[in-house]
Parts: sequence; structure tokens; C-alpha cells
Amino acid sequence: MDLGLAGRSALLVGPDDEVAGACRRLLTAEGARLATSVDDDVVDIVIAHGVTRHGSQVLAVESAEGWHTAWNDVVAALDVFGRALPGMRSRGWGRFVWVGTAGSRALDAELPGQLDEVGAVTSLAMRAAQKVIAAEGGAEGVVANSVLRGGAATADEVAAAVAYFCSQWCGYITGASVDVTGGVGSGMF
Amino acid sequence: MDLGLQGKVAIVSGGSKGIGRAIATMLAGEGASVMIAARSREPLDEARAALQEIAPGRIAAVAADMTDPAGVAAVVAATRATFGPVSIAVSNVIGHVIDSKKEGDGPGAGNFASMPSPEYRREFQHLFVSAWALAHECIPDMKAQGWGRICNIGSGVAREPATELPHVLPNVVRPAVAGMYRIMAARLAGDGITVNNILTGSILTERNLSYWTWLASQTGSTFEEVTATFHSRIPVRRQGDPREMASLVTFLCSQQACHITGQSIPVDGGSNRHL
Repeated sequence: MDLGLAGRSALLVGPDDEVAGACRRLLTAEGARLATSVDDDVVDIVIAHGVTRHGSQVLAVESAEGWHTAWNDVVAALDVFGRALPGMRSRGWGRFVWVGTAGSRALDAELPGQLDEVGAVTSLAMRAAQKVIAAEGGAEGVVANSVLRGGAATADEVAAAVAYFCSQWCGYITGASVDVTGGVGSGMF
Repeated sequence: MDLGLQGKVAIVSGGSKGIGRAIATMLAGEGASVMIAARSREPLDEARAALQEIAPGRIAAVAADMTDPAGVAAVVAATRATFGPVSIAVSNVIGHVIDSKKEGDGPGAGNFASMPSPEYRREFQHLFVSAWALAHECIPDMKAQGWGRICNIGSGVAREPATELPHVLPNVVRPAVAGMYRIMAARLAGDGITVNNILTGSILTERNLSYWTWLASQTGSTFEEVTATFHSRIPVRRQGDPREMASLVTFLCSQQACHITGQSIPVDGGSNRHL
């Protein structure tokens, strides 16, 4: 399947971890180039993810500063999304992908310490932001979706879903969240 | 129905007006002692005097900024000193500001394309940190009693963003509050503490009237046109009365509602279509 990414430029936001690496490898293999700055470069695709805090617990956050540190992931992503949006609109094509945690769908399905509870909270906010962006950008070819990582999903499996959501074929799927979890989780929504 | 709230100690933020005041009134009517907190002194004093009429000796008020954890801690300390350990915490803090003359400085209204990113941080402080801080301060009292009720006055946008309105800030932050509450509910269920979130729809309050007036000025429509358009989208074709909201909160605080936790429940005349 030709994802239609040849010549598209993609920017990654967030920590330089294995998911970022897998996304970079796959997108460049599909012909996309990597942008370095949202302000100095044409950006067709923005992929954002936050810091993974395995085992983080809501009840263990002791200060407002602790919450703001986690929330910085959301502010950083939305800052770049907001700067990229006008150019995408004027060119009539754009893709935003948030890579979050499947814990944001089944918030309390696991025991304390098994879930990134703080990441689940911030992922919920980003999934909602994607719906808003989907509504505001849809008429001009800008779509916004979320990939939710869970179970034992590998970085390459996550990147494959990300690449699909960046592709030319993903024009009518917008505001959606898809689980990459190997079937872990039993919730209907 | 006796809700079993005699002698319980409650805190209601934003308790001087609108929804918060209706909740404080109803909890007091059920026999609870109620601390109301709000930023402005004058409406707070007026509300305290009115509530004293129904519940002599069981009402207190402290002026505080409930978006600031230090303000929350001061209110909780004052409540303990006046009435004893806290058993009910109702978080009711507004987010983005409609009329800065009435509501003071705060994050603004707007859509995604127009919103500067630092505003997401301010809205997070208003809506999320306020709800978290009140729960966080009260949980030790509730654990010690083996009984507690935590309730947040949220918004329907936690489940379905209002993309037709300039509400990008609550659209993004409200779901995070609902998620934080859901996880808290699961982790506190063994302590006799319930944690629930209200998905508020269009409720007729003073602030709501300011909102329609503001929205009319933004869209070049009349107040009547704006309200008629929005009311026509509400299945029951009217706004809610603050008491309709307060009654659900009071029920969720009751003994009878002990098995309802981690829920986000709409009070919106059927507006939210999400399953």
C-alpha cells in the first residue's frame, strides 16, 4: 500500500524514545522527510507523544507542580499543533497524531502501579483536543487522530498505526482513537 | 427520603452563587454542616446569611481562591476547626472567563486555532488542579472516617467536546478531570469514599445569563436568538434549574448512593448524545 507520504514533511514532538525512533524510521522509509522546526519549515504532519511514566499513580501526586509537569506534555503538543495548523490549512492537507496510552480508555481496569495513571489523564485531554482539531480542520483537509498504546505493543507496531493515520488514505477517519494493545482491555468504548 | 446526611461536614466551593449555592442549600437542608468558599467577600456574606436562616449554626464561609492549593488548604483547615473532619467535598470552580469585570482574571474563550498554548496551563490550574486539590486535602479525613463523598461539577464536554462553541479550553481540560476522578474512585472504593463527576449542561444561573449575552455580542445575534437556537437543541427545550443539579449532587452524597462511584453523570436535559 502506498501511504502517499513521499515528499511530505513530518515533525515529532516529545521525548526521543523508542516510539519516536520507530516513527522516524517508518516515515522516512515511506518517503517522508523529517522537519526540524514548526516555525522555519513546511510541516505536513505532526506526531506528538508524552513522557511515559510506568506505574504512575493519581493518588501519589502530592503537589500541583507534579500535575503541571505532566500537563507540560499537553501544552507542548498543542503549542506545536497550533503553530502547524495555519500552514496545513492553507495547503489543504495536514495530519496530527497523538500517541497516548490505552489506559485512557480503561482507566481503572488495572491494579495500582500497573497503569500509567497520570499518562492516562493527559491522554484523555489530548484525545479530546484531537476531536476539536478534527472539527476545526476537517473542511481544509486536516485530520487529527490518536493511537493508544497498551498491552505489550512494540514501538514498530505503534509506528505502523501512526504511519497509517499520516497517510493519504486517512482522510475520513478523524477525531478517532485506535487501540494498539493486542486485544488487552475489554471495554466497548 | 432520609439521605443520612445529619451531622456530615461538607465543603462547597463556588458556594455563594448559582449551582454551588443551590448545592450548599440542599446539603444544609438535609442536616449537613456546610462551609462555602468563594473568591468575593460580598456575595459570600449574603449567601451565608441566607443559608443561616435554614440551618442556624451549621453554615460557615471563607473567602478563598479555590484554584490555588494554598487557598484550598486554608478552607479545609477552617472547616475542620469549625465543624470537625470533612466528609463531603464538592468542587465547583469555573474555567474560562466570560466577563472579566465580574469574574476577574482568567483564561479566555476561543477555538483551537486562536488559542495561545499558555492558556491551557491556566485552564488546567482552574479546572483540574482545583478539583484535585480539594479532594487531596479532604481524603485523609474521609479515610479516617471510612466514609466520604467527592463530587465535581464538571461539564458535558468531558464526554463530547462542544466544537460549535468557543470552548477549546474546557473541551481539553474537562476530560482530564473526569479521568482523574475515575481513577481516584477506583483507588478509594475500599475506603468507603465515592468520587463522581457531573456533566453539566445548560443550567440557568447568573453566569449563564452573562454567557448568553457575551455569545450574542460575539456572533452579532440578539440574546433571544442565541438562547432560542441553543434551547432548540436541548431535548427538554429549556435550561435546567440549579436545584435540578443540586438534587443529583445531594443524592450522590447520600448513604443510599454508596455504590455509585467513578461515574460521570449528565444533568443536561438530554443534550449529550454519547452512549
